[in-house]
Amino acid sequence: MAEIEEWEWEIDPRYHWFKWELGAIPQYKDLLFRLVRRDLLANYQQTILGPFWILLQPVLTMLLYWVIFGTIVKVSTNGIPPLVFYLSGIICWNFFSDCLSGTMYTFIHNSAVFGKVWFPRLLVPLSVVLAQGVRMLVQLALFFLLYGIFYVRGDVPASGIGWLLLPVVVLWIGLFGLGVGLLLSVLTARYRDLDYSLQFILRLWMFASPVFYPAQLLSGKYGFFLWLNPMTPLIEAFRVFCFRREVDHVGYFWAAGGAVLVVLAMGIAFFKRHEESVNDIV
Amino acid sequence: MIKVEGISKYYRLGTQGSGRLREDWSNWWKSVGRKSARADASSQGEAHIWALKDVSFEVGEGEVIGFIGKNGAGKSTLLKIISRITQPTQGRIRGRGRIASLLEVGTGFHQELTGRENIYLNGHMLGMTRREIDSQFDAIVDFSGVETFLDTPVKRYSSGMYVRLAFAVAAHLTPEILIVDEVLSVGDAEFQQKCLRKMKEVSGQEGRTVLFVSHNMQALRNLCHRAYILEHGVLVEGGPADRMIARYLRDSQVHFLRQFYPEPALAPGNDHIRIKRVELIPAYSGAEELIDIRTALQLELEFWYEPPGVSDLIVGIHLFALTGDCVFDVSSSRTTLDKGLVKCGCRIPANFLNDGSYYISIVFVSNTTHRLFYFESCLAFEVADYREHTSWYGKWIGYVRPDFKVTLEALNPDGYV
Repeated sequence: MAEIEEWEWEIDPRYHWFKWELGAIPQYKDLLFRLVRRDLLANYQQTILGPFWILLQPVLTMLLYWVIFGTIVKVSTNGIPPLVFYLSGIICWNFFSDCLSGTMYTFIHNSAVFGKVWFPRLLVPLSVVLAQGVRMLVQLALFFLLYGIFYVRGDVPASGIGWLLLPVVVLWIGLFGLGVGLLLSVLTARYRDLDYSLQFILRLWMFASPVFYPAQLLSGKYGFFLWLNPMTPLIEAFRVFCFRREVDHVGYFWAAGGAVLVVLAMGIAFFKRHEESVNDIV
Repeated sequence: MIKVEGISKYYRLGTQGSGRLREDWSNWWKSVGRKSARADASSQGEAHIWALKDVSFEVGEGEVIGFIGKNGAGKSTLLKIISRITQPTQGRIRGRGRIASLLEVGTGFHQELTGRENIYLNGHMLGMTRREIDSQFDAIVDFSGVETFLDTPVKRYSSGMYVRLAFAVAAHLTPEILIVDEVLSVGDAEFQQKCLRKMKEVSGQEGRTVLFVSHNMQALRNLCHRAYILEHGVLVEGGPADRMIARYLRDSQVHFLRQFYPEPALAPGNDHIRIKRVELIPAYSGAEELIDIRTALQLELEFWYEPPGVSDLIVGIHLFALTGDCVFDVSSSRTTLDKGLVKCGCRIPANFLNDGSYYISIVFVSNTTHRLFYFESCLAFEVADYREHTSWYGKWIGYVRPDFKVTLEALNPDGYV
């Protein structure tokens, strides 16, 4: 008789690589949005400038790069006005690196909550990426304001049809940060050494990406390897879609997109496989 | 409706330091060949602990189940596994119905956010939807009593306010299965009462299944239909809550009810007094051998006596609470006795001592003032609580709980004259 009964859920000791339970996420959309809201509200409590930091931080970095790379070191910007060139690199890179560093400590920073209540753990990294997405939108608005100024002055050409693909580029950058962050989140919980080395690796990664120099500099003998870094084609695509009428390097762009989806799938699988066992370690 | 089948949970102990990566690697390498790497690890004799071993039980719809056991018996681990917070090492749990677990109050509260924001955040984490919280919002705020601070960040709250707000959210959960771990022990006594009343109300609702861990036996007795006793990770026994609680209390009571010495030479004492036997004999009221407040206790004492010259003897019994306060000092009348074996008796009546731990010392005095021997802390016992017809769950204060009548009558039914 007991066998006829229908069970709604089951808990067992097996590990699942491909039981992603993404279907459970819409049921928790209220929590997801609340977490995004918490992230945005709590971060600027007790600061004088509050949310203006979202804009101030990239602007200050842009001015710094302009002084160092624009006037002292004189790195080429490929004919694009330096300010918009740097800003485009900075907001793309920051979006990626904030998504990455916001999600890679998921288990460590949430151990108190994860130890007491269950909800789909993926909501937490997802909320981080969404909150960063909101910041990215604000920064994009600033970027297009600056872009508009230069356009009116005739310093930049009108972009071609490529700008329609900009949302895709931004989405991929965010998902790439999420995917790498998910992979690392399991590792940072197990091996605390990563805390220290990751900050360093992230800085190195930025120098290997065309944030304050054009991707064309990455030619030569080993240039090809640097193009394997998906951030290179993604940042480059962002600029190409904004500043060029004719679109080149499209092959790299789609390849980067494919890489992003593979990394994301690996990240989710790795995360889901370990999300329960990691709790016993942290 | 939950069916738990053969659940075990294994924890590795010891350091998790530099050897970690190598160990993980070798475990992984082994697991490539076989699927049972984890079962292997347990047999390798490394430091480990089975927090739970082969635990099975079933919970029907609408049942309220209590789990009893000492700290570290595995109660919390069990609730964590059912709540999906940690994974079992072996076994399987299947169930029907939406679960909300309350292993802590205020999970996910963010210090920087206002009370209002935190009600939503915490409520969503516990599985409530926005609609559910919206409709219960006023009731939650009312229950917590922090209306005026609703838009203040919770870091400015006193710890009492914080706990009240946190519990208020939890108290308005409406899942089909509720899992509660010892969260009722927070806050002041008055608020605890309020929480327990709410728990009673919640668990009494139609079809609501509750799994409940608490050290408050009065609460367990009042709320639970059935209870299980856990000991070192093993489910020892299950049955009606009353019987399980009595059994648990009996097993965990620390008694020292008897001392017996057949030879005077080996017995404690001195030239004048040698103790043969001292014993406390409980008159158990129920089938369970449990000393509770309804149990009368008969003290019996036998000693070899050799009077120091011409003298009389008084035997005094001192009963102390564990705090060291003397609850009473009773003594025999002055009696002149010859050398030989003497028997002394005293009865502590039922419904006299309050629940708690007590110990007894016996004093032997000659000629009213000269102390012959003080037999210190010779007996110790615990008295368990027992209450009927009351929903008061707090600690009943005082060392004694006599059954005196307290009367109440209306003097003037017509008004205040």
